[in-house]
Parts: sequence; C-alpha cells; structure tokens
Amino acid sequence: MDDQGCPRCKTTKYRNPSLKLMVNVCGHTLCENCVEMLFVRGSGNCVQCDTPLRKSNFRVQLFEDPTVDKEVEIRKKVLKIYNKRDFDFSSLREYNDYLEQVEDIGRGTDWGRPPETEVYNLTNNLDVENTKLKMEQYQREHRDLIQKNKATLTREQEELEELLLLEQQGNEQRRLDVLQDEQRQLQAKRKNKQALLDELEQSQLPATILLAQHKVRAAQLETQIEQQKQTVKPTNLFSTGIHMRQTVSLVAVPKVEDVLFHYKPLHVETYGPPVPELEQLSRVGYLNHVRAAMPQDTAGGYTSALACHRAIQDAFSGLFPLKG
Amino acid sequence: MFHNSSQRKYWIFKSEDEVAHMRRKANQKFRNKIQESGKSAVSDSMFLERHEEDVLFRHYERRLLDFCNAFKPAMPKSVVGTALMYFRRFYLNNSVMEHHPRTIMLTCAYLSCKVDEFNVSSTQFGGNLLHETPAGQERVLEQILEYELLLIQQLNFHLVVHNPYRPMEGLLIDLKTRYPTLENPESLRKSADDFLTQAAMTDAGLLFPPSQIALAAILNSALRASLSMESYLTECLGLKEDKDSISKMYDSMRRMKTLLKKYELPKADEVNIYKPRLERIHAQFASSSNKRKRGYEDDSHVAKEPRLVEEFFLNLLNLCFVPGMDG
Repeated sequence: MDDQGCPRCKTTKYRNPSLKLMVNVCGHTLCENCVEMLFVRGSGNCVQCDTPLRKSNFRVQLFEDPTVDKEVEIRKKVLKIYNKRDFDFSSLREYNDYLEQVEDIGRGTDWGRPPETEVYNLTNNLDVENTKLKMEQYQREHRDLIQKNKATLTREQEELEELLLLEQQGNEQRRLDVLQDEQRQLQAKRKNKQALLDELEQSQLPATILLAQHKVRAAQLETQIEQQKQTVKPTNLFSTGIHMRQTVSLVAVPKVEDVLFHYKPLHVETYGPPVPELEQLSRVGYLNHVRAAMPQDTAGGYTSALACHRAIQDAFSGLFPLKG
Repeated sequence: MFHNSSQRKYWIFKSEDEVAHMRRKANQKFRNKIQESGKSAVSDSMFLERHEEDVLFRHYERRLLDFCNAFKPAMPKSVVGTALMYFRRFYLNNSVMEHHPRTIMLTCAYLSCKVDEFNVSSTQFGGNLLHETPAGQERVLEQILEYELLLIQQLNFHLVVHNPYRPMEGLLIDLKTRYPTLENPESLRKSADDFLTQAAMTDAGLLFPPSQIALAAILNSALRASLSMESYLTECLGLKEDKDSISKMYDSMRRMKTLLKKYELPKADEVNIYKPRLERIHAQFASSSNKRKRGYEDDSHVAKEPRLVEEFFLNLLNLCFVPGMDG
C-alpha cells in the first residue's frame, strides 16, 4: 500500500502506517519525523538529489506516487498564470493549440518526466530556465487577461460554494425536523402512560375497563404516527430537476396488431408408414419378439421398448417411394 | 433418422446413369489435371478407362470386405457397411488413379470404426494388417492418418451412414407382430442377410433408402421360399389404395435385383493386367499428387520426404504384386 518506506529512516514507515509522507519540490518523499530531523540540524538539502530546500516547501503527500504530487504542484503553479478559458478563443482548434502549449511548458518544468538520467538532467536544467523565462514573459503580456480570468474563476467557485451551502442547510433542516417529530411522539406516549396511572389512582371504574380504554388510546396514537410518517411533504420537483406538472409531450405509441399465434404440433415427414408410439409397443405385442432387457440393462434406464421402437422407426423411415 | 439425414439429401441419386456420369467426370478430371500440368511422356493410353477402373474398384472393395471380416475383434455388420459406403462414395468423386485404393480402403475401415463407435485403438488396428512387419504396420498407420482428413473432406463431412441391417431387424419384428399369415419369418433371415451383403457390393446404397433395400431383401427371400407376402404391403403398410406407390416399390425392387445380378466378381487375370498400370500411373504422378495426399496445408512437423513415400509405396505394391495373394 505504501511505497517503500521513507528513504532516510527506512523502517519507520512499516512500523507506523499512520505516519504521513511529505513531498517537496524535487519530488522526493520524506516522512514527517525525518523532515523535522532534517531541519533541526539546520541543513536543508534533499537526501536523494541534494537540492536546497525550505521547510515550507514540504506538503503532505496526497498521492501514492510522489512524482504525481510533484506534477500536481507544478500544474497548479502554471495554471495560475495560464488560465484562459474555452470561451476566450474563437475556435476549438485555437483552444486545443493553447492547451498543448500549456502542456509543453509544464513538461519543460518537468512534470511527468521519466526518472532522471544524466541527459535528462542536463536538458531539465536548461528547460527549466527557458520555460521560466517564457512564463515570465507571458505573465507580463497577458497581465490583464490573467486578472480577469482569475476573477471569473473565483466567482464561479463562490457560486458553487453557495449551492453546496444551501444543500447542506436543507439537509440539516430535515434532520432537525425528523428529530423533533420523534421527540413529540415519545412525549405523547409518555403522557398517555402517565394518564393511565393517574386514572387508575383516581377513577371509580374497574381496572379492566381502564386498561381497555388505555389500549384503545394507544392504538389510536400509533395509527396517527403511522399516518404522519406516510404523508410525504409534497414537492414540486422531480429528482432530475424537472418541475412537476410540466407537460412532456409523448407521441402516442402506435398500437401493433398482429396475427394471433396458433400452436401447431410438429409434423415430421418420414416418407414411410406411421410408426406406433413407444408406449403402445407392448400393448400391440411388439415386445414379445424383442430380446428382453436384463437387470443390468434396466439399471441404466434401458427398456426393450427403446430398441424395438428404434428398429421399427428405421424400418419404416423412407420406405415409400417419393411421389412424382 | 434416415428421413432427415444427409444421406437422403446428398447421397441418394436418381438413377444408375447419374452415378455412372459422376464416375466418368472424376476420371476425366484426373486426366485433365495431369495433362494440364504438362508432364512429359503422357499418352492417353497410359490412363485407365472407366471399365478398367471399375474392375480395380471392385477388386479392392472385395479386399476391404475380407479385411473387415477377418478383423479381430469382430467388426459389427454396420461398421463393415459404413466402411464400404465410404469407399464407394469416395470413388464417386475421385479417380482410382489419383489416390491409391489400398490406403483409402484402410482409411475407410479406420474411420468407420471411429464413427460407428466401435472402439479400436490405432495399434490394434495396425495389428490386423497381417502381412506386414511391425515397422511396416507403423508406416501404414501413418499413411492412414494422413489420408483420414482427405477422406472426410471428400465425403463432404457427411459421416453418418444408414445401413439396411437395422431396418431389416425392424421389418422382421413387424412381420412377427402384425403379419400372422407368415408363419416363420425367422426362416427368411439368412437369405435376407446374404442379399444385404451382396447389395452392399453394388450401387444400391447410393440409389435406394436402406429401408427399401431391407424390404427388397425380405421379399426376395420370401419369393425364394415360395411364400407370398403381397398382402403385407397392402394391409400392414397401409398401401391398399395407393396402387402407384406399390408399383413404384416393386419397380425399385426389380432394379435392385438387376443390380445384384449384374455384379460380377473381378477376374484375376484382368486385375493382373490393370494393376501394374495403376502402379505405374501412381509412381509417375506420385510426386505431383504428394501434396494432395496430405489432405491439409503443409504442416512442417508432419512432413515426410516425398521420396520416402514413393519408396514405401513401391514396397507395398511389390507385396501386392505376388500373384495368388489377391483375393
């Protein structure tokens, strides 16, 4: 489930599965303990690639593969700058080209690159500088556009959040209502019981009648509760969002009338005289002329009628010449 | 059952002429094939004529029958009948010059054992080839296995053959049950059996349904024993009003009897003339037809050198050559 353990203390991961892994800018993992250890000593270099690090650069790892985390970080940074939307472009082709451009830039800063080799290291460094320059240039050019897009983005996010909030509130409300109902029911039951006790104390009537009355009242209460449960608050919205009483036009399905099916038993042309049924054979006397079935044969379900029937069938099949 | 079998649909022909025509076509096809391939020293006289092919066919058919009868363990009659039918059907569409009958006949017997569920292992089958050394038996078996697929293909994959033996039993049972006029139907059994064996050596199986052949056998033996069975047809088979059918059935029986009468055993001297010619044809055209013998595409792990096959063939034929060993 988890990678291979923290590269510094190696063992701690296995012993303590709840320990979290932190990822830094260069994409290498370190468990929480090791991060603290590293910065206590004051030296801030990554264990594997020796890049100088700051403690703030460590983020809690969300993904199993640290490279994915690294890519996610870079993507966030890049997209903060390159945040044009699809309606900013006049055609789909332009939008796609823009997206490709963004990806290339991302690749320049090394997201999703294969594991490092010497060559890639070199190109990586070159590219990083180049792309950083590119990014800064782009930022300067499209400063206004970036700002505007940021604004729209935040607005959308706010709207979404509002909707979510509304929904949550609705849920809460419903939950409270249900709780209140239950409470009321409990109270009613308790009152009923109390009333019975009081009556038993005070009234003159015999106990059995009182008990009977109490039972009746309890039953009535139950039915009341049941009914309340049944009455669903009428809504005016289907779950898919269609309003009720909204007429949806349905073309009447044409009625298909077909000929009624009549069963006709299967008739096989044997080109010969009719063969007696299997069950009739013994009655007519065929079985007298066939070797009787021995006990070993009957065990498997064989009867002499089977062999006799087969012989007769074969004898009669195709016996008559074809007409014409 | 026979009435919805492939035998009735594809392997029952209308007349003897149609059958003869198909054989002529097969002969012609082989001739054309050889002449088109442009082999040197091909003269028309080298090829076998139809009647010569017939003699050889009957000769090898008889040998197949003897082989099946001498088979250990004893082969049931239906297996023998199926093997003979396969042999006959194969040479309807192919010429004896193209595929040598000796291997085809053994392949027919082998396939028929499998299809009719008469379980014989291939070693047991090889053990029945009495005039071979064990090594020779192995090679014959390999040959059989190579030809098997070709045989099945030429049968158009119609492997179920309905023989007249069970219909004959059925008719006897019916006679005993519903026809008390005839006192002892069992007496008819022996000569009916002989009739059927003889009929298997003729084209009757290709022209008539097996139940009709069985009925003809029984009526024939009744006639021999001077017992009248007219009323059986009219009463029991319900053909009282159907004069047309009755006359047709009598007609078919007459045709069958003629077929049986026409059959003659192949004469030894004729066979001895035609056989060498057959061997020569095979020896000459063996290399060209070698691939065909495979019956399937070139499989490298089954491949045998053509030379080996030729040699083997000549050895086999030398054995058959010895006069007096021919049946």
